[in-house]
Amino acid sequence: MDYLYHLGVLFCIYVILAQGFNLVFGIAGLFNLAHVATYAIGAYTTALLAVELEVGFFQCIIASSLMAGLLALIIGGISLRLATDYFAIGSLAFSAVVSALLINWRSLTRGVLGIPGIPRPELLGIDFNQLSNFLWLSAIITLLALSSFWLICNSSFARSLKALAQSEHAAQTLGRDVARYRTWAFFISSLYAGLAGALFSYYLNYVDPSSFSLAEMVLVLTIVVVGRPGSFLGVCLSTFVLVVLLPEGLRFVPLEASVLGPLRQFLNALLLLVLIFINRARLFPTQRAV
Amino acid sequence: MEILPQLLVNALIAGSIYAIASSGLSLAYGLLRILNFAHGHLMMVGAYLFYATRILLDASLTVAGIVTALGMTVIGALVMWFFVRPFSKFSPLLTFVSTLALGAMLEASVSMLFGVNVHSISRGIDFESYEIWGVFITPIQIVIVVSTLLILGLLAAVIHRTSVGRTIRALSENQYAAQCLGVDYERYTAVVFCVGILLAAYAGVLVGLETNIQPTMGNSYTIKAFAAMVLGGLGNLWGTVLGSYLLGLVENLSIGLDFGGYSLPAGYKDAFAFVIILLVLLFKPEGLFRRRSRRV
Repeated sequence: MDYLYHLGVLFCIYVILAQGFNLVFGIAGLFNLAHVATYAIGAYTTALLAVELEVGFFQCIIASSLMAGLLALIIGGISLRLATDYFAIGSLAFSAVVSALLINWRSLTRGVLGIPGIPRPELLGIDFNQLSNFLWLSAIITLLALSSFWLICNSSFARSLKALAQSEHAAQTLGRDVARYRTWAFFISSLYAGLAGALFSYYLNYVDPSSFSLAEMVLVLTIVVVGRPGSFLGVCLSTFVLVVLLPEGLRFVPLEASVLGPLRQFLNALLLLVLIFINRARLFPTQRAV
Repeated sequence: MEILPQLLVNALIAGSIYAIASSGLSLAYGLLRILNFAHGHLMMVGAYLFYATRILLDASLTVAGIVTALGMTVIGALVMWFFVRPFSKFSPLLTFVSTLALGAMLEASVSMLFGVNVHSISRGIDFESYEIWGVFITPIQIVIVVSTLLILGLLAAVIHRTSVGRTIRALSENQYAAQCLGVDYERYTAVVFCVGILLAAYAGVLVGLETNIQPTMGNSYTIKAFAAMVLGGLGNLWGTVLGSYLLGLVENLSIGLDFGGYSLPAGYKDAFAFVIILLVLLFKPEGLFRRRSRRV
């Protein structure tokens, strides 16, 4: 039973993470390689605040989101003024800076050892060390996050982003400030990544740099592409398939752990490739010629 | 400041490797307008191919070199065929995703085949260093610096002195105009892409000979090649080459010199490439070196 709870919490974390990426990548059409880096920042912010300063649960979650969002604003401010190629490179560079800092800034992050002993919260007298209670907490937070996301998806803001992805110049002539809209999209998606990171920290009680590798980025990318970029329900469903069902299937394959990790990474990437190959003509809005 | 000459030589060596690695990336961007996120991973695959033939099959240096070159040409063609060409007609996001997936697949398959541990490919190579004017340098480092200059010279000669080179320059300046004049775009891009992959593989082998190889080395070299390219201006080949040497210089000076008793730990050396990218994007996004281009 505990195992089902575990999968439930994992689903909650990844669905928030993936929906955040869905906004910036699926709707706004920006190739943001820093999403896992902002997720890492959320996780480490919570870890440091909860362990070193013993800050409470809600403060930690909000601080993590804002921290991730703030860094996204800086990076977005630098690279979203330029063509989207530059944003892809800039976000990759940013994610590399983050992982270099996580490993090397030992006085703060304890390097590859990671930060252990992140305490589960205790609210209203409920003990969240019990897994079922923690699942309820994550489910409520996820529900809130997803409903806010649903509102964003159906707002004029999302429509403007879609228009920008399809035809930058046409949207510009209708008074949409490209850099500002895109920076907002990047900021909001990073808020979700930071939130997912905070939950991840509380759930595992432990963070280390290996959880935030490029393979994780490929997983998030695969989730969004499988669920169809821009589709809210599709991404929820594909998170379920890729985070809950696929690893379950692989558990029954008799292989050593050292092979299983790369194998999972390989299969994710292969799935991603096959899907974009099949759907290449309609997956992303091609730039409309006006 | 007696350490300075040594740092400059180290910068020259690192810059040479980056120049070989990033020139292929820059050529491909100039022609295809794609960012190849698997470039460093292809470098790593080249190094592992060399490792497999040289160390595991115990072939001679020449045979291992030839096998690596042939193998990487085939891989380059396959990548072009399956990962670039099907997508290049559609949204540029697709090639970003496909090359990123390729990189992840390459890293995963190499980890499964050879294990995640560090390997050495420098068997039978003389590591005794010479001292020249107080600077230590090994024979392999001399090979790195000299062969890079030769390759870059050859590249310059082909691009600026032959008709093939003129066609390539025409394509990178204006693809459609060149096609209207009868240039076979598909063929030229395939050849240039394969040459870029070959250069990457050579850089991978050099990295392996100079240090060692590991499946995870790919990503950081992808980013370093991007850093060199951003420094020189996207698609500007000679700017990228200069950017590579500049990157090597900055990295080595940053960790080698101490700033008033405080020196940066060596672990931050890699982070410098990334910080440079962000700084250049902030202040001089068109690159440090002006490109004389007549884009229509």
